Amino acid sequence: MSVAQVKRIAISDSPIPWLLPLVCLLVVFTIYPLIYNVWLSFHEFVPTKRALKFVGMANWVQLWNDTRFWSALGVTFLYFIVALVFEIILGMAIAMLLDAELPGFSVLRATLSMTLVIPPAIAGMMFLLMEDPQFGVLPYLLNTMGLLDKSTPILATSSLALAGVLVAEIWQWTPFMVLIFMAGLRSLPAEPYEAAMIDGASSFQMFRRLTLPMMSKVIAVAVLLRGIDLFRVFDYVFVMTSGGPGTATYTVSLYAWQQTFSFLKWGYGATLSLVSLAMVMIMANVFIKVFKVRW
Amino acid sequence: MHQTAGTRTLRTIAGWLVVGAFFFPIYFWTSVAFRNAKDIFNWPPKFFVFEPTVKNFEQVFGVSLGFGFGTQETVNPGGGNFYMAPRLWDSIVVASMSTVLAIIVATLASYSLSRMNFRGRHEFVNWVLSTRMMPPVAVAIPMFFIFKQFSLLDTYIGVILIHGLMNLPLAVLLLKSFFDDIPAEIDESALLDGASRWTIFRRIVLPMAKGGIAATAVLCFIFSWTEFLFVLTLTQTGLKTVPVVSSTFVTSIGTAWGNMAALGAAAIVPAFIVILLVQRHLVRGLTMGSLKQ
Repeated sequence: MSVAQVKRIAISDSPIPWLLPLVCLLVVFTIYPLIYNVWLSFHEFVPTKRALKFVGMANWVQLWNDTRFWSALGVTFLYFIVALVFEIILGMAIAMLLDAELPGFSVLRATLSMTLVIPPAIAGMMFLLMEDPQFGVLPYLLNTMGLLDKSTPILATSSLALAGVLVAEIWQWTPFMVLIFMAGLRSLPAEPYEAAMIDGASSFQMFRRLTLPMMSKVIAVAVLLRGIDLFRVFDYVFVMTSGGPGTATYTVSLYAWQQTFSFLKWGYGATLSLVSLAMVMIMANVFIKVFKVRW
Repeated sequence: MHQTAGTRTLRTIAGWLVVGAFFFPIYFWTSVAFRNAKDIFNWPPKFFVFEPTVKNFEQVFGVSLGFGFGTQETVNPGGGNFYMAPRLWDSIVVASMSTVLAIIVATLASYSLSRMNFRGRHEFVNWVLSTRMMPPVAVAIPMFFIFKQFSLLDTYIGVILIHGLMNLPLAVLLLKSFFDDIPAEIDESALLDGASRWTIFRRIVLPMAKGGIAATAVLCFIFSWTEFLFVLTLTQTGLKTVPVVSSTFVTSIGTAWGNMAALGAAAIVPAFIVILLVQRHLVRGLTMGSLKQ
């Protein structure tokens, strides 16, 4: 390209000079790593030779037969669904509760946004302290209410550990839903509700027939954005349980990270992370198509 | 909807109780930062009554606050060095530089995505959105090896680049929504007057979108401030941000909860203050520009 041509593009109405820096960064930091990851998934690190060796499909075959991978996938889905259901229902209920001009409610709404600026790793630590079996607040309260035996450590019991992690997750991200739903509620028109009142509709009927349909776009956006983050959960499990006890809280992201950096299975870790990537992409894009979410 | 005084009172109480429950962990964590070990490791746990101390802050920030209250007890699990002021500095550098990077690249791109009609614009926006879906672990693993080749591991530049990139999809989509709010007629009449796109962008659109750009910058800053996985993977000893360094308070002998809480509280308070400044745009930011308040 000659200098004159470059100049012409730069001053014309072409989007190229505007988008070029973005495209360069996205190619270098997303496309290139993706290709590298695919390449890595056909290789494996050999510690004795300190080098990568081509292994063909071995990593993918191993993945198919790896019970720990399937268990991690199950844990990830369980975490995803439980967190999403709790966050949507609690988020909607609290949004409707706080959507009123009552004493101090503007302060309450601002206070709720506080959980969103806490690093998830630190939120995980907070709940690690509060769930400590020897001096934690949560075991104490549950013990006093007779719901949990004092000798049962929440995060070290297979059947309870995931719930213990989910408490932190739901605590931190329900306010995310509340804030979004509240903005949605405020943008609803008043007329349909007035008409429904005159027709003598119950408040539950109004919620089902008016609020939910009119809020569907808002709910879809919130579910999409939260869902993307839920499927790749890492921080909470990393700091609270490191996947334990046993494999009770291993998620796909954590398993991939540990295979790569703790066990030096570089190729297998890359394979696992690719599976996680593919699943998020497919689920998110299907969701966008089905619910017609548009940016 | 008409409500009786009774339901209003009930609703007020319910609202305060619910938000109180959400606030409790934050209160408790902050109070731990002001406690001696004996008030942390206690059964039944102490909720509200304890002997306050600023020892934890003094150890973490390496300063002597010299307030006279509390006993100067120096029992610490691990007994190590908890001086963390430089790590707070690392966090500030990484978050602000990566924000600058993301905002510069994103304002340029968003302007053209908002104003220019070209083939594949919609697909381009979707592509940017899809990069937001990549699991961090799927980026961090290859990035570790790529950074190693280019000696970017454990450097400010490396972490700034990766955090800037991580925030690009948010910044581009959010800024596009703010630019979309500015009427296109303004651009068009300036174009007719012979102004170039660049002049319009710099002289008209940027000043008009100031508030939106500030809100975007705040969100980018906070997402970099709270990020964990990339810093954990791509740094060793050269730099560490607050969320990652917090996990180093867990030692084989015990966990220095008081010090960890002091560092955590010091990291949360400034972030909360800046988020309050942009509360008006918070929902739009959290939904990447999809919902306007």
